[in-house]
Amino acid sequence: MTAITGDLKLPKERGKAQAWAIQALPVVVRWVAALGGALLIFSILLMIKGTNPIDAYSDMWSSTFQRSASVEEIFTRMTPLVLAALAVAVPARAGLTNVGGEGQIIMGGVAACGAYLFLGDAMAPAVLLVAMIAASVVVGALWAGLAAVLRLAAGVNEAISTLLLNFIALDVLLFLIYQPWRESRTGQPATQELTDLAKLPVVAGTAVNVGIVVAVVLVVAVQVLLTRTRWGFRVSVAGGNAEAARRSGLKVAFLVLSALMIGGALAGLAGMIQFSGVEYKLRPSFGHQLGYIAFLACWLARHKPFPILLASFVFAALSVGGDSLQLDSGVPAASIYVLTALILIAVLGFTTPRKKTS
Amino acid sequence: MTTEPAARSRHRQPLLEVLGLTKHFGEVKANTDVSMEVWPGEVHALVGENGAGKSTLLKMIYGVYHPDRGQLMVDGKEAPIGSPADARRYGIGMVFQDLRLVPAFTVAENVALAMPEGMTLKLGRLADEITAASEKFGLAVNPAAKVGHLSIGERQRVEILKVLMTGARLVILDEPTSVLAPSEVEALFRVVDHLRGQGFGVVIVTHKLDEVRTIADRATVLRGGRTVMENVVPSDYTNAQLIEAMVGRSVSDLERGPSVALVESGPAALELLGVDCVGDKGNLALKGISVTIRPGELVGIAGVAGSGQRELCEVALGLRKPQRGTVQIDGHDVRTPADAMEAGAASIPEDPVADSVVTRLNVVEHMVLNGRPFPSRRLGIDWRTARRRTDEENDRLGLRIAAWNRRVSDLSGGNIQRVVLTRELAIASTLVVAAYPSRGLDIANVRRTQEILLERRDQGAGVLMVSEDLDELMSVADRILVMHDGHISGEIDSADFDRQKIGELMIGGAA
Repeated sequence: MTAITGDLKLPKERGKAQAWAIQALPVVVRWVAALGGALLIFSILLMIKGTNPIDAYSDMWSSTFQRSASVEEIFTRMTPLVLAALAVAVPARAGLTNVGGEGQIIMGGVAACGAYLFLGDAMAPAVLLVAMIAASVVVGALWAGLAAVLRLAAGVNEAISTLLLNFIALDVLLFLIYQPWRESRTGQPATQELTDLAKLPVVAGTAVNVGIVVAVVLVVAVQVLLTRTRWGFRVSVAGGNAEAARRSGLKVAFLVLSALMIGGALAGLAGMIQFSGVEYKLRPSFGHQLGYIAFLACWLARHKPFPILLASFVFAALSVGGDSLQLDSGVPAASIYVLTALILIAVLGFTTPRKKTS
Repeated sequence: MTTEPAARSRHRQPLLEVLGLTKHFGEVKANTDVSMEVWPGEVHALVGENGAGKSTLLKMIYGVYHPDRGQLMVDGKEAPIGSPADARRYGIGMVFQDLRLVPAFTVAENVALAMPEGMTLKLGRLADEITAASEKFGLAVNPAAKVGHLSIGERQRVEILKVLMTGARLVILDEPTSVLAPSEVEALFRVVDHLRGQGFGVVIVTHKLDEVRTIADRATVLRGGRTVMENVVPSDYTNAQLIEAMVGRSVSDLERGPSVALVESGPAALELLGVDCVGDKGNLALKGISVTIRPGELVGIAGVAGSGQRELCEVALGLRKPQRGTVQIDGHDVRTPADAMEAGAASIPEDPVADSVVTRLNVVEHMVLNGRPFPSRRLGIDWRTARRRTDEENDRLGLRIAAWNRRVSDLSGGNIQRVVLTRELAIASTLVVAAYPSRGLDIANVRRTQEILLERRDQGAGVLMVSEDLDELMSVADRILVMHDGHISGEIDSADFDRQKIGELMIGGAA
């Protein structure tokens, strides 16, 4: 039992802004403490490895944010993260857990590559890019739709089915690049590189592909879709209480299917952008871990579209920073995952608003 | 006005005295100058409508809130109760409306949670103590049973036992009967009676007058945060006087004429023919049931809980598929919830929290979920229109629902029920299926709900009303169907209503 909440005790004369500041202060303190704690623990690990943490952090900071190439790299890496995080956020609104971003990204890349291989010679470049986008979106949606159908027809939990579909997607990718789509010239398990005309153009004056623009536009679009449309309202009813939705005549099955398929489409598009804007060929490691990192980014953003932009930026910056950590401080780049995990646990664990027990 | 309980002669002073407690939250005057007293061996009913200030008073007695003014006396001495722990030290125990037990634990483990902490957990000895205590206090409880498997009534007994075993001499029960079936209410009252005999003080919160008369030695009536009757003996007053004290005005008897809109020919509002239906436990819950409700009549369904009422309502609304038989509303076949809504059905669900409340959504967002198309604006919903409609419907029905932007999941049971009632009864319908419509409501709102159901009837809707309260059914229904074990065991017209006969039919009697 807690006593009456603090805000009831606030004298009325105090201004609204002041009251707001008093309420916001603990939140800010919690965030600072959480992030500071994560950095502190990582510092201890760095010291154990014999590295001065202050130097490591300052090297990381300068090589990540003070070189324009690094900053551009951050924006390039955050693009698929944003889209794949949206692919988690939309189904989450319907109460669904989409862990299948990884597989949906792979299938999106595979579809884009397929469209390129089969249509590449026959089409004008601009039309070809549109066809690749369309193929990735449709295949991503169908791949996620499979999990929705399994849930609706057989009651299989979508968190399990989307996860398992990731492994199947990886097998599909490996089959294609080892067998029919293998580039004969080099003999590597990879497809041939895209011609320049099939690569995504860059934003003028930078090395960043236009995917980032698409991602930002889609963040706004998803925000509108979830909060300003009748479909978005119905989905949140179904996600909040499926029985109440059914009793008020909503078609819950359709809402589950459409929410998961829209998620799949977004992740499929992430795969296309990763393929046509970054990697240019399918390799065994295509899109490696993007889906899972995006899943974490979405949780860090509490499934809200605009915070997803920020969370994706943070994760992309950390991965770029990890590369420089290896170069400058001699610490393995993979250790950045340790920092990433520490930040995630700290932020989710110590800044989550808890329900007050009354 | 003050009268003395019989036990007074044996004791020199009251167990608890509440003297002029006042608690204001900003503009809200939750309690103003509230006083009452409880003697050992007394059952004291605290009555009042929703929002009368009962909860605030209890929370001050139990140390959750601190009064702005006034004081508490225990055993004639001033007792500065600053926290629930203080209250327990003074021998005051509280059984909350939402029981606070861990379902996955056994009874003994739950009691262990409440006992003073030691380093080790001696569950075996505790189980013996529980058995001893349950005999002493007349509370049948099995210490090894898992709480999740117990009925609400049994869980309540565990809570009471827990409170007694931690040394309470005054037991406060916050609306204990609002969650109980009638047979469980009787069992609870036997326990309360037993406690009275052993010299405990009991405060019981309720807004049902028959319960006050059955169990309470004295009563205190709260209205608008003030005590309007203090420590009175209920039998000194008529029902009308007590209701007037609670509501603040006299509530006339419900006027129910014969239906003015009864249509004998044409399609029925609801027609079930030979319906078999499997219930949640896999048993056959409806066995060849046929029910016809004409437009313009109100049909009551009586029966012991679990006789198939829930399945009947769900089959009628297309929410549950019958294994055999047909369901029609206004002549249209019903196979899905959407069919039922298109045919003009409205429904008050049996369990509004599980079946109607959507987490995170506010009142107006619940109000648009009435099965009709949303008020639209381009791709979105025109919330301004939705708010206007909500206000208009609220004014028209007069159930005074909470503000449009309140989260419904934060509201109390009675307030949730009012939102659901307003949503479902504001729009014209051909059929109303109302399961326990007055659940959680206070006297004024129960009356208003019954009036609205009769208005719907007189506008030509067929009304199916399920209730466990026979008085309520007999006061509003044109006909009562009695259910027993998945059958309709009898049908009685309003002219021949007879409590005895209905009671026999409820247990499948041969009558």
